[in-house]
Formats: sequence, C-alpha cells, structure tokens
Amino acid sequence: MIPPSPPPPAEKRLHLSDIAAVGGLALVLALAVFNVLANMEAAGVSPGFGFLVREAGFDVSSSLIPYAPSDSYARVILVGLANTVFLAAVCLVLATVIGVVFGLVSVGPSPIGRALALAYVEVFRNLPKLLVLLILFVLAVNGLPHVREAISVGPFHLSNRSVNFPVVVSNQRMWFAVAAAVVGLGIGFLWRARHKLADRRSGAAETAAINLLPIALPLLAILVFQVPVTVSVPELKGFDFQGGGRLSLQFVVIAATLGIYHGAQIAEVVRGGLLAIPKGQTEAAKALGLTPWQSIRLIVLPQVIRIVIPPMNNQYVNLVKNTSIAIAVGYSDLMSVSGTIINQSFKPLEMMLITMGLYLALCLGLTTTFNRFHRRLTRRETR
Amino acid sequence: MNFTFAAHLRTGLREGFSSPLAAALSLLTGGLIVAIAWVSIRWLLLEAVWPWQEADACRETTGLCWPFLTEKVRLILFGTYPFDLQARPAAVSVMLCLLAVLTCRQMVGKPPRLNAGQLAAIWVLVIGLSFVLMGGGVFGLQAVDPVRWNGLPILLILSIVAVALAFPLGVLLTLARVQTSHPILALLASSYVEITRGVPMLTVLFVGIFVLPLTLPAGVSISPVMATLVALVFFHASYFAEDIRGGLLSLPAGQGEAANSLGMTYWQATRLVVLPQAIRRSLPSLVNSLIGAYKDTSLVVVVGIHDLTATARMSFGDPEWRDNALEAYVLVGLWFFLSCAYLSGIGRQLHRNSAS
Repeated sequence: MIPPSPPPPAEKRLHLSDIAAVGGLALVLALAVFNVLANMEAAGVSPGFGFLVREAGFDVSSSLIPYAPSDSYARVILVGLANTVFLAAVCLVLATVIGVVFGLVSVGPSPIGRALALAYVEVFRNLPKLLVLLILFVLAVNGLPHVREAISVGPFHLSNRSVNFPVVVSNQRMWFAVAAAVVGLGIGFLWRARHKLADRRSGAAETAAINLLPIALPLLAILVFQVPVTVSVPELKGFDFQGGGRLSLQFVVIAATLGIYHGAQIAEVVRGGLLAIPKGQTEAAKALGLTPWQSIRLIVLPQVIRIVIPPMNNQYVNLVKNTSIAIAVGYSDLMSVSGTIINQSFKPLEMMLITMGLYLALCLGLTTTFNRFHRRLTRRETR
Repeated sequence: MNFTFAAHLRTGLREGFSSPLAAALSLLTGGLIVAIAWVSIRWLLLEAVWPWQEADACRETTGLCWPFLTEKVRLILFGTYPFDLQARPAAVSVMLCLLAVLTCRQMVGKPPRLNAGQLAAIWVLVIGLSFVLMGGGVFGLQAVDPVRWNGLPILLILSIVAVALAFPLGVLLTLARVQTSHPILALLASSYVEITRGVPMLTVLFVGIFVLPLTLPAGVSISPVMATLVALVFFHASYFAEDIRGGLLSLPAGQGEAANSLGMTYWQATRLVVLPQAIRRSLPSLVNSLIGAYKDTSLVVVVGIHDLTATARMSFGDPEWRDNALEAYVLVGLWFFLSCAYLSGIGRQLHRNSAS
C-alpha cells in the first residue's frame, strides 16, 4: 500500500488579503479612537489613567481591606477586586460541594435521590442566574426576621440584614502561630517531595504525623509563647450587631445563588464522569479482592478526576465571570465598583479596559493553574 | 396502567431500601421532596387568593395572590408600551416564538421542511416586520420610542436577533481562526475569541452602553437598545465560533482535500462541503450556547433595558403591591423554564440524532 503523502507545507508568506484585513481593522480602530478623543474633548474630559489617584468619594457596601470614601479610585478598584476574589472563592467551594453531593446522589442507590438530583439539575439549567438571584434576594429580605428578632444559633445570628458570627481577634503574638503553621506546611511539602519516588506503602504512620504538623505546631506555639486567644462575639446593641464577623445579606444571597446554580452544572459534570467509568473497572477491582472503599479510592476516583478536570475548569471560569451579577443586588464587587466610577468620572474607556483586564487575568490565571494540574495528572497516567 | 405503576413502585422501593446507605439516602431525599412539595402546595393552593376574590384578601395571607397577577400581567409582558397599542408587541412576541420553533424543527428535521434560502428569507422578513411593528412610524402605525419597548418582546428581539447576527459572525471568526496560510488573520480571530470568552458578559454590555456611543462621530447617536444588541452580537459570536470550531476540527481533513481535488475553489469547498458538515456536528453544543445566550439576555436589565425581569420589578414597584415580588418573579421564571426546557429538548434530540 502506498503511504499517504505528507500534507503540503503551510505557506508562510504574507497574503494581500492579510494586509487588507489588518489594514481595515486598523482603520476602523483608528477612526474609533479619533472619535473617542473628539467626543471626550467636547465633553471637557482628557483621556488617561491620571484619575486613578483622585479621591473616589463614594462608600462601598463591604470591604475586606481598610477603605474610606476619601481614598483614591485605585484603592476602591482594589476593594472591588478583593471582594470579587473572596466571593468567587466562597462560591467555588460551595458549588463544588453541592455539585459533588448531587452528582453522587444522581448515580446513587436510591431512586428517590436520583429523581431529586435530576429535578434539581433540570430546574436550575433552565432558569437564568439573575432571576435565581432576585428570587432568593426577595425571599431572604421578606422571609428572614428583622435584626432585633434575628435567628440565633449560639453566637451565630441570621437576620434580613446580615449573618453575624464570632471571630478570633488578631494580635501581635498571633504571628507566632501563623509562622508555626507555615513551618508545618513547609516540612510536609519537603517531606513529600523527598519521598515522592519512594515506596508508598511504607511510612503510613509518618505520613499521618506529617499531615498533623500544620495543626499541631500552631497549637504548640500558642501554648509555648502564651498567645492570647480572644474571640469577638457579636452582640445586639441598638439597631445592629456590634463586634464579631459580619457577612452582608447581599453576599450570602449571591454566594447561595452561584453555589446552587453552578452546583447543578457541576453535578452534571460529576455524573458524566462517574458514568464514563466502565463497569468492568469496578468489577475487576472486586475480582482482585479490593474492598469497595479501596476500589473507589484507587480505581474509580483517579479516573473520574482526570475526566472531569477540563469541564470543571470551564465551570470555574464561568463562575468567576458570573460573580459580576452581584451588581444587581448592590454588593461592591469589581463590576459594581467600576460601574459607579464610570458614572462619576466619565472615564468609560479607561475603566472598562481596567475591569476587563482584571477579569481576564483572573480567568486566565485559573485556567493556567488547572491546565498545569491536568498535565501533571495525565503525564502520570502515561508513565 | 395501575398495575405497572404499582410494579414500578414496588421495584423502586425495593431498590431504594436495599442497603442501609440507600435507605438513609431515600429517607433524607424523600423528606426533602415532601418538605418542598408541602411549601409549594401551601403557597400555590392552600393559602392562595383566587382570581375571583378581592385583592384586599392578599394582605391577610402569604400565599399566591392571583388578583395581583391578573391586574399586572400586561405590565409584566409589555411594560410601559402604550396600553392601547399592545396588540403590536403581542403580535411580535408570537411571531418571534413561532420563528424560533420553526427553526428548531428544521434543526431536528421535522416538517415543514424548508431549504436554507427559504428559512433565511423568513428570518429576514420576521425580524424586519418585528422592528416595524415595535417602532411604528410607517404605514400609519403610531411611532413608539425604543425606550418603551419593554418586557417579553424586547427579550425575544434581543436574544433572537442577536443570535441571528452572531451566528454568521461566529462562522467567519472560525474560518479566520483555522487558516494556516494566513497567520495574522488566525491570530487576530483567536485572540478576539479568547478575550471575549475570558470576560463577563456584563463588561461587554457596559462597553456597548458606555464606550460604543463614544466611538461614533459627533452628532450620530445610538439608542441603548441598539447598543445592547451590538454588544450581544459581538459577545455571543465568540461562543458560537468556539462551538463551530469544535465541529470543524472533528471533521476529517479528507473532506476539504477531496473538495479541492475536485477543482472547487476555497469558498465553494467551504460553503458546500466543509461548513454544512461542521455546523451539523456542532449543533448539540451550539444549542447549549444558544440556551445560555437566551438566559443571559436577562442581564440587560443591569444596563437599563426593561426586559421581563425589569417589568416584573416594575409590577411590584408601587407600594400597594410591594409584597407580591415572588408572584411576578415566579411568572417570569415559569416562562424561562418552559422556553428553555423546549430548547433543551431540541438539544437532546440533536444529541441522539448525532449519536445514531
């Protein structure tokens, strides 16, 4: 048989059509920029990023870093970015937990459970996230009690304004405990790197001990250096809770919305991954005498993880982008902060460049991390 | 019928309580289902105020308030469109729904069978007619400002027209992206697609509303509805492009090469051989993106377009009906659920067709 001929080498010379396309695009862009400059001049605004150091003058609904309205625009953007990252991180964990639980239930032994999981996925796949957010917000505002009659479970309080919970107050000596935790993690990391190629069956007790280090060392440090541990408990004073930690109702509702909405999609991903494992795999594991738990841990899970990582990556990127709907209920995330700045300063072009750049960086960072993880897993597979 | 139901129930129960884990799971999820059902039945039936009752009765209960819905349903559907002229947006909504259903039936190969040319002609006709009916100002129709195009028709116009325009743009982006002999073109297309897919839709809408008007020469203005439409087209196009690229890459290279060896030009080969097959292969994922695009159209409320979600908010805006937000949102949710479920069904059918 004659082997197929290799494909012809791709031409590398520049075509006239390339030049025409790029030229046309450049022309349109130049025209747009020219118009923008002319329009801004007519409105009496000069282009540039100098406005970032000016005073913002507006307050935010919540902030993770110290912020006052007298701070600069750059600082308020940072506040928004921090809020977005925090929200995304919380939603990510929430959606993953919900998704994995419902994914497992949807292939589980109970037909009632399967029906519930199926209905859950179907309902939330067919509703817009904004509507889910607005419905939950209405239910929370109307359904939850006023601050004075907050639902309280011990030191945790839930009202239609916020969730209040106790927090450990940080102090100077706390750094000893933090440092001890870092050292513990570092030792574990080094130990694992050294023993990577060693036989895994040996040293199970050592592994357990090493895994406990990041918890044990800080506790030891607290005892040795007599770090004072003070807990701030929220208390009802006047019209609101004082002290303790506080999450606004907006934050709670958005986190719940995205957790439920993406949870449904992740459940579908997990379900797909579990169904993709041929039955022969678990049967073979059983024939080899592995216990059910061993079969899940050593045979099923490693294969499922490899299958679900690409679609999960997709889900997580979508989740990060979808945190921007927080603007609809007034949580000060990156999108809502940049909307306010646009309305105040008439700098739409500059602000949108910054905002899109930041979102793009977040999403690309997440994707890169995931791809690296996926590559590592698949490399191990082929070895 | 009764017998089979009982048999199903028996096997289901036996399976559901076959092991301690299964039994615990069944009890837990069963309890959850009962709780959800009880809350829903109480709200929908037991504590509901029926349409023939007085509206004042709504203040005494927490159930569904039908008098609110009967009074506000036209506001939710058409918003502030002039009340006497609301037959026009109603006709537009029906037409656009029929257009969507017709197109979906074509995709899964159900009658009436039309060829691509006929379908395209119908699309152009219906969309043109929609704008004429909504805007008026010709044929003796009273002119209506786009600001007052609210509710269901604007949702349908924005989603359907945006999809109709984004699709060809997506095809062009895909074709540009897979060019091996035009590296600059491919680079431009792929960076456009990747950047658009890496930012939230809201940022693109903001660009449409705030930046797009700035790029127009002085004296030329664009209405917010049009600006939003442009933004949606450019946003959806990159998602469609990614889906079509998937179909294109799964197509054996021999198809295009065979077309070339038959003496077809690039455009002939693409139009007659490559694209039809690539698009057919990407239809299942295209329908998924379509559903996403349709659902996400509701985000336009953030930039001040009054679609269904916004008119729902209007309906409980006056203090008298302040407590009836849930009714309005549930009505909107029901519409989205039914329309998306129809589209999902089409998607599943396409999936089955492509698998067989």
